[in-house]
Parts: sequence; C-alpha cells; structure tokens
Amino acid sequence: MENAGYIALSRQMTLRREMDVIANNMANLNTPAYKGQSMLFVEYLESTDSGEKMSFVQDIALVRNLTEGTMNATDNPLDTAISGEGYYEVETPLGPRYTRNGVFRLDAERTLITASGEKVLDDGGNPIVLPPDSSDVTITRDGTVTTDQGPAGKIRVVRFEDEQALIKLAGGLYDADGQDPQPAEGSEVVQGMVEGSNVAGIIELTKMIQTVRSYSSTGRMVNDEHERQRRAIQALGGSTRT
Amino acid sequence: MRSLNIGATGMLAQQLNVEVISNNIANMTTTGYKRQRAEFQDLLYQNMRRVGSASSDAGTIVPTGVQLGLGVKSAAIYRLSGQGNILQTENPLDLAINGRGFLMVELPNGDTAYTRAGSLQLSADGDIVTADGYVVQPGITVPEDAQAITINESGEVFADLAGQVAPQRVGQLELANFANEAGLDAIGNNLLLETAASGQASVATPGSAGYGTILQGALETSNVNVVAEITNLITAQRAYEMNSKVIESSDEMMRSVTQLR
Repeated sequence: MENAGYIALSRQMTLRREMDVIANNMANLNTPAYKGQSMLFVEYLESTDSGEKMSFVQDIALVRNLTEGTMNATDNPLDTAISGEGYYEVETPLGPRYTRNGVFRLDAERTLITASGEKVLDDGGNPIVLPPDSSDVTITRDGTVTTDQGPAGKIRVVRFEDEQALIKLAGGLYDADGQDPQPAEGSEVVQGMVEGSNVAGIIELTKMIQTVRSYSSTGRMVNDEHERQRRAIQALGGSTRT
Repeated sequence: MRSLNIGATGMLAQQLNVEVISNNIANMTTTGYKRQRAEFQDLLYQNMRRVGSASSDAGTIVPTGVQLGLGVKSAAIYRLSGQGNILQTENPLDLAINGRGFLMVELPNGDTAYTRAGSLQLSADGDIVTADGYVVQPGITVPEDAQAITINESGEVFADLAGQVAPQRVGQLELANFANEAGLDAIGNNLLLETAASGQASVATPGSAGYGTILQGALETSNVNVVAEITNLITAQRAYEMNSKVIESSDEMMRSVTQLR
C-alpha cells in the first residue's frame, strides 16, 4: 500500500543528486579542461507477492562527457592544450596523476609546473627544467619544449584504454586507478591555447529546469498518494465503526 | 542540499573573475602593467558509488561510479608577462625594455623593488629616479650642465656636456631577471618584489643572452588586450547569472519539499 510513496521517494532522492551534478557543472563553467558529468539512471525492479513488478529508479553511474572543450587563444607561451585525446602526466606526492589542463608556469628553479604546483613530466618520466636565462619558449605540436638555448624536453601525452574508469580528483587531476598509460598517438599539443570547460550552459540550464519540474511533480504525486490513503482510511475505517 | 553551496562557489569564483578583469581594464593604459588572469579548479569529489567496486560476486565491476563534485575554487591569479606595445614618446628619460628583465629601484626602506615602467626622471641632485622619486639602481648621476642624455641599447648612459665634443659616459643601467616572473609580489605603483617563488634575481647588462634591450624615448604600455577582456567579462557575467539560477532552482526544489504534507 505504501509502495507508491516509496517509488516517488526513490525518484526524488536521485533528482536531488542530479541537481548536485548539474550545479557542479555550472560552477565549473570556466574551469580549464573541465569535463561535464551527467547522471545515468536505471530501473530497479522488485517483484511483489501478486507477481507484478514494481520499478524504482536508481542513479547507477556518472558519465563524463569526454568531448574536447572549446579552445581559447591566450597567446601565453606556457599555455598548452591537447588537441585530440590524451592527458599530461604530472608528479604528485602520491605518484603520477593525469590532467588535461595545460596551463603551465615555471617555479623558482625554472621547472615546468601546473597551476597547483605539480611537476609536468617528460617522456622519460622526469620533470622538464628550462635552462637559466633562457627565453622564447616554443612548444611544438609533438610536445617538444625548446628555448633559445636548445631543446629542454618533450612533454609526455598519454592515453588510456578506458577513459571513463579514471578517478576524478580535485584540481582537474585524474587517478589512473591501475590502468597503464600508453603514448597518445595522433594527439597534438597546441601552444598559446587553453582548453575551456566542455559544459554547455544552455543544456545544463534546460536539464536543471527539467529536474526542478520533475521534483515538484513527484512531490505532487506524493501529496496525491497521501490524500488517497487518508480517504481510504476514512472510508474503510469509518465503515467498520458503523 | 549540496547544489545550493555548489552554486555559491560558482558565483564566488565568477565574482573574483570579474574583479580581476576589471582591474585589467582599469590598468589598460598603465605603463608596464602586466595583465592578470584568475584560474579555477574543480573542488573535491565525493564518492557515492566507487568506480571499480564489485557489482556482483561473479567479479563484474562498476564501470563508472557516482562521484559528486562539490563546486569550484580559485587556484591562482596569474600574471601574464607578455611584452606590451612600445609607445614612442620622444622623452629622453622614457625607457622601454624590449625582452625580459626588470629595472631595479631602491625603496625608501632600503629594499630593492623591480619594475618595467621606465618613465624615469631626474631628481634635484641629478640622480635618475622613477616617477615616485625612488633611485634607480645602480645609482647614476647626470652632471648638472648636461645638455642631452643618450641611453643606448645595452643601457650605457651618456651625457653631452658643454664644451666637449664626445659625450661622456656617466653610468650603466642593469636589468634583473627571474626564473619565474609570475612569482613576483606586486606591491602597487608598478613595483614588484622578489619572493621565494620567483627565485633570486640575476643581474646583467641589457642585451646579454636572455636579457632584453633598452629603447630610449619609448614606453612599454600595458599588455591588456581590451577585446579579450570584454569577451571574458561577458563570459564571466553569464556564468555568474547561470550559477544564480542554480541557487534559485535549488530553492524551488526545497520549497516544493516544504509544501508536502
């Protein structure tokens, strides 16, 4: 008898979480190389005594939209973007991590680092250090970093068998979670560009309206169900008393 | 509801973005100003259903989990040290640095500050000083009876003296370079200070390998590109509005909860 309420509840809980996902996409509308996420819903069937099946809703997974974000020209020599699939490898205290955010800079030792200070690794797994007093940094399409004093290293760009299985960490980093990185062939490093977020504001806004409307209509259903039960109790309970 | 707070982080980030952009536009014509850029990163993720966990005892695993992000944070405000345009002024004490390097200035407290704003002047004693009256290092004094000052590409300062055919060399300007220019600490008045992040200053004469050259009679304008700033401003404003919609919608969802009986 209470099942209708529980089914509505399962829907409302997932809608709340979907709203959180949309809000996170919206908040990262301007985050470089951010990949939008969307919720994947499945039906969860439960058999009842009468043999009929009841269908609840469950949010089983978050799918990352892996399309390339818009490329914005910045003319800053240390801004890079990967055209095609692939990730940069960076060094963290917990081991190598991967990112598509190519907004690099130099530290006090002229090592190439990311915005949050992780060292960018070359194809040999070593940090890339520019010679002191060098200028005119050029990064070619294959990732080779050159200054006026000669080549300084080649930025490593890797790809993964299953990109969806990478674990998202804060700061635009990904954890490989046991997958072996392979050299990304056919991908190019573009200098002076930053890959923007691939979140489309309009689509998120439409999804948000849909979420809010579904939420309130499910709420109305809960109300109607409450009303129905109240009337059933009144009618049936009343008949036994008289 | 998380989405309320997530929307708030988004609005805060865009507000910071607008602040940085407005400072760039305000300093559009400031000599030697380097434009800044706010950079954002996604905040932590909360694992609701861990990716790669077993979904059955037959060994199947969850291909993609449920990882809820918690919003955005500002990672850094980064100074972009691209060369500004060179503006001809014909004033002999206006210097532009073409390439890398900073002029060194002694602050009243004895510290050394660095600047690319080369609008220099002479003090009452004939010292070469900045627009604020701070002495340029190494100190150069121009004789009182000098009729003209010439500064060449490599920073040598010559003065034409009455009764002398050849100009007299009165000093040598030097430039300071840093491993990481973006790590310098801006203190206002076009001045920057050395920090642990910038690395130690290495000093050399202009025109040495890796150092810029001096251009007399010119100033380096700011490297702010107004069209790019306005475009960024529009993007930031729209993103701000969309995040306010997130808060509004979350509010509406909460209202529909309170209306349940």
